[in-house]
Amino acid sequence: MTSDRAPLIWGLVAEQAALRGRRVAAVDVCAAAAAELPVNGAWVMAPGAAAGHIMCVTDEVSEQLAELQMTLGEGPCLEVFTSGSPVLVSDLDDADAVRRWPGFTPQARQVKAAAIFALPLRIGAIRVGALGLYRDEPGLLGIAQLGDALIFADAATVVLLESGHLDGAATVPGAGPAGQPPDLAQHRAEIDQATGMVSAQLGVAIGEAFIRLRAYAYAQDRRLSDVARDIVARRLRLSPDPPREREK
Amino acid sequence: MDGEQLADAFVELADTMVADFDVIDFLHLLTERSVQLLDAAAAGVLLADPRGQLRLVAASTEAARVLELFQLQNDQGPCLDCFRTGQPVAAPDLTAAQQTWPQFAVAAREAGFAAVHALPMRLRMQVVGGLNLFRATPGSFAHQDLRLGQALADVATIGLLQQRSTRRSEILNEQLQGALNSRVIIEQAKGKLAERLGLEMDQAFAVLRGYARDRNLRLSDMAQGFIDGTPADFPGLTPPRPSRTRT
Repeated sequence: MTSDRAPLIWGLVAEQAALRGRRVAAVDVCAAAAAELPVNGAWVMAPGAAAGHIMCVTDEVSEQLAELQMTLGEGPCLEVFTSGSPVLVSDLDDADAVRRWPGFTPQARQVKAAAIFALPLRIGAIRVGALGLYRDEPGLLGIAQLGDALIFADAATVVLLESGHLDGAATVPGAGPAGQPPDLAQHRAEIDQATGMVSAQLGVAIGEAFIRLRAYAYAQDRRLSDVARDIVARRLRLSPDPPREREK
Repeated sequence: MDGEQLADAFVELADTMVADFDVIDFLHLLTERSVQLLDAAAAGVLLADPRGQLRLVAASTEAARVLELFQLQNDQGPCLDCFRTGQPVAAPDLTAAQQTWPQFAVAAREAGFAAVHALPMRLRMQVVGGLNLFRATPGSFAHQDLRLGQALADVATIGLLQQRSTRRSEILNEQLQGALNSRVIIEQAKGKLAERLGLEMDQAFAVLRGYARDRNLRLSDMAQGFIDGTPADFPGLTPPRPSRTRT
């Protein structure tokens, strides 16, 4: 049941970036998600010092929904930061939603949101934020739509990770792996194991280890899962010096 | 299987499902008990990720060859068929299943298995995954054993629903993603520990699990803490001598 949705969805994101004439950014993921999914708007929030901060929004309602959560210190996205699971609220009038976020829910209804879906931007222990989606009518996301929404969240995760990668290893403009499907929908345990190994080998945080792994695969023009398999089999170690990797 | 063993296993599983239990740890225990109770050689739980993949979240053995068998089922295999139909799928003799699943049947036999059964994990209208049972000798499970196997698959499904206080229909998909992500955290922690201590992946898993159990920590919380923390935070998980050097 291997999905072919990931390349398609990455294509939609890349189209949005091309329209702006810029490299792929979180705003492109939001725009593509809002266009493709049965939702009216999208936003990305990252956890921060207080209740987090807004990375991008597609419209005014999305901006208000993100701001409300930061102001009130409660809401689906903030819950996603802590729990790491999606929070899917198909009807904000449901008593459950009011009980969960007594401050946020009525105000979200006032700005005409009727359903909110908050998806974690994370790969295991790597956590970068939440993708928020809203619609002005109540209703569930079907399984296929949820699957697509999760792939959009994967895209936002990788884009945010790479844009936050300050030492610029292999992510020079136009030459980095940003914008390439990250192989995440084709999940292999080796990728996660290799990420942990690289983190220990290089003494870097887990998020940075993932970026280094991806940058290496991109630079060598190899699949991420193949590089990961070599690392797990201890046939390959990434060197601390990013530009020149060495094979054993 | 004897009655006392069965009772012990269910008591143990029920005991594990206390508030705030770790779903991956629970599913591991369930695969281990499935092997013992059903006289299987290996067992695994695969969950359906809505992104479009069956993903292994727990297996009775962490041996790489067995894990690859589960992985292979994204293309073909009894668990994929079981997921698609929502019905149990039995292959009591893998030599006869060569036409149905050419790659899978060969790989399974190379790994030392002669028979496989896949039992659906279902909740309401949704098939969420399957419990796979491998046997070393050809043959079907007895009717009674299949009923027990299905009961174990149902217990695994219930284990996914950690918050039963709500009737919201979205809860299953929320918890499913939580479980899949927990598995990723554990794989990352296995990698970090295997590298640090020079262990194989299955050894790294055993060490992490033992560490969490000894200290009464949830496995995925402990794994997250281990990934985020410094070596000093986990004194039991540092190498006895300075880290190995390689040339």
